[in-house]
Amino acid sequence: MSETLSGSQILCRALLEEGVDLLFGYPGGAIMPFYHALPEYPGLRHVLVRHEQAAAHAADGYARATGRPGVCVATSGPGATNLVTGLATAHMDSTPVVAITGQVPRAMLGRDAFQETDIIGITQPITKHSILVEEVEDLADAVREALAVAIEGRPGPVLVDIPKDVQQAKAEWRGGRAERRNGGTAEAVGLPPFRRSALLGDAVRLLAGAERPLIMAGHGVILSGAYEELRLLAERTGIPVVTTLLGISGFPESHPLHLGMPGMHGEVHVNRAIQQADLILGVGLRFDDRVTGNLAAFARGAKVIHVELDRSEIGKNVATEVGLVGDAREILGELLESVAPRDCEAWRAEIAGFRRERHESFRGELTPGGILTAIDAVAGGRCTIVSDVGQHQMWVAKLYPYRRPNTHITSGGLGTMGFAVPAAMGAALARPDEAVWAISGDGGFQMNMQEIATMVQEGIPVKMAVFNNGYLGMVRQWQQFFHGRRYSATPIWSPDYVRLAEAYGIFGRRVERGEEVEDAVREAIARPGPALLEFLIEQEANVFPMIPPGASLSEPIEGEPAAPRLVPA
Amino acid sequence: MSGTRAIAVLLEDRLITLNRVVGLVRRRNFPVRGLSVGPTGTPGLSRLTIMMQSDEAAAERAVQHLRKVVGVRDAAALPQGEAVTRELALVKLRPPAERYAELLDVVQLYHAAVVDESAEAVIVELTGSEAFVLSCLRALERFDIVEVARGGAVAMESGAGAPCLDTQPQLEAGAR
Repeated sequence: MSETLSGSQILCRALLEEGVDLLFGYPGGAIMPFYHALPEYPGLRHVLVRHEQAAAHAADGYARATGRPGVCVATSGPGATNLVTGLATAHMDSTPVVAITGQVPRAMLGRDAFQETDIIGITQPITKHSILVEEVEDLADAVREALAVAIEGRPGPVLVDIPKDVQQAKAEWRGGRAERRNGGTAEAVGLPPFRRSALLGDAVRLLAGAERPLIMAGHGVILSGAYEELRLLAERTGIPVVTTLLGISGFPESHPLHLGMPGMHGEVHVNRAIQQADLILGVGLRFDDRVTGNLAAFARGAKVIHVELDRSEIGKNVATEVGLVGDAREILGELLESVAPRDCEAWRAEIAGFRRERHESFRGELTPGGILTAIDAVAGGRCTIVSDVGQHQMWVAKLYPYRRPNTHITSGGLGTMGFAVPAAMGAALARPDEAVWAISGDGGFQMNMQEIATMVQEGIPVKMAVFNNGYLGMVRQWQQFFHGRRYSATPIWSPDYVRLAEAYGIFGRRVERGEEVEDAVREAIARPGPALLEFLIEQEANVFPMIPPGASLSEPIEGEPAAPRLVPA
Repeated sequence: MSGTRAIAVLLEDRLITLNRVVGLVRRRNFPVRGLSVGPTGTPGLSRLTIMMQSDEAAAERAVQHLRKVVGVRDAAALPQGEAVTRELALVKLRPPAERYAELLDVVQLYHAAVVDESAEAVIVELTGSEAFVLSCLRALERFDIVEVARGGAVAMESGAGAPCLDTQPQLEAGAR
């Protein structure tokens, strides 16, 4: 028997049928028909955020933690434009986010109606795909297509824009699976089997013959779940592994073959290993400029094997000897079957000789390393760390001992300040059985701290840590190094975070001394619900080492530079 | 080696798809010299020709990026030197009466055609490679050019090989 539903009901039902059970959103005029239908579908949990940007980041955090699409909802106009930063963040880091936006009724499109924006046009460069639903009959398929496109191949954000009258119009419900979309298949095209096995053979030969091989593992390892394959390949060949910012937690930090993070704030021995390598096996990374430094001077002696799902990435930034297009897990699995066991002992010993004592520019005991160690100890290794952007992000990347796969979530490509708090809400809802920490600086935290209200209303137990140094620390560090210590617009005032926590009715505590850290972390975890810890850290500490922008990986700043003072401090 | 290369793109015949492709071209900074789009024999599909000043590797990367766009069915870089490319130009001229015969000589020399004629002006149609069209325009300059309208290039691989894009060869009226 046929069933006639409104567009809004079709939307809800299609979402449910495709396995969506959680939405982050904010109502408004053009999306009201959807919100009217929503209570009829209790299987769809809706989290009311305090700003649409947070809805997009929360959906992103959920997507990263689960590997399933995260869904956010906003109204037309300002609601939709507020999603933009979140969509761009997801786009840069290849995460499957689906945004559903209300739009003005069809008859008003293009007339500068109230709360009308061309959100499809605005988001085109930062989405994998977008669909304006012009007929209610197309709505269910649009939802199916959006969810499918977001997740298949290299994931990315998809936007579905639905005019208000399409939400209100009636149509017959038609069940069914997602239709295959047309085109957009570069990553799926792959290679003909004979070509592929020839390339695999080339890769195996290069891996066997290299004297100083290195594996660089990126986000693709996590997106494809290639943890085991990566570890086994490294162990069979003895090839050391570096993990990019988004590759962190794709390989155990404690593993003897793990070297650390490369690039702008990578450890000296990691970058030297890259520069000395004669072969780089890049897995699911895009050789971003923060990883390579000056491209012309990047790993000059190394041949590159690039394992990558997106064919357009191969050869984009670095010249590639062998490009293996496909899923990282599959390709590493195939390599694993063909590589001969070997050891790279001499090479690893050489790298060990590159290691330096880490330069800690902290006075006293209240250090990022100490805080992160306490968080790990209290959690017993079972927690997910969501970081924001800036100095603390680098400390969190380098100092936390990630033991389990996919436990580090951060905005790597876009570098979105304000990401951590809302993204941690998504991660916390995805992982109810473990602690989820949002670690921010005092700058990024103040960008989205309004979401504490969301956590309270929805009972989302995010544990928040603010590394407060009174500065926009990373910018201040650049000003110190490259702008003659002119601290222009970087000192930043914060409210009293303990009283802020009180105002929201959550636990809050300020930590000023190293010996209080573990106790504070323990208390934050012991209290049910969200909690906020403020750590008053060294004001002018820097992240070392640092490759100056534009310089090569061979030119790190390893400690305080003797920067000339251009202006009086 | 850098040179002008043609990329043929088969895409859905929808403005949003064309918009996505052109947006990609702008965003990725393709060194574009010209674009042209027209219907194919397959209803609902258009063929876009992108002329790019680039080496082979960059053209191949452009193809990979284009193939990712939802709505693009296929894309291919035509091998340089093994493709026929043609541009169209319409040129309106006001030749002085005494030089009309000379104009007709030039038109004939370039295998061009007079497609519109009035008391004061004529419109000449030119077809050829970019260099040919430019050379012809230079030859016409002395006849008082009033207006020039040029179309982007269309291109096709020479020889008897398989079509670079999979479309129906026969044209249907109103395919676009």
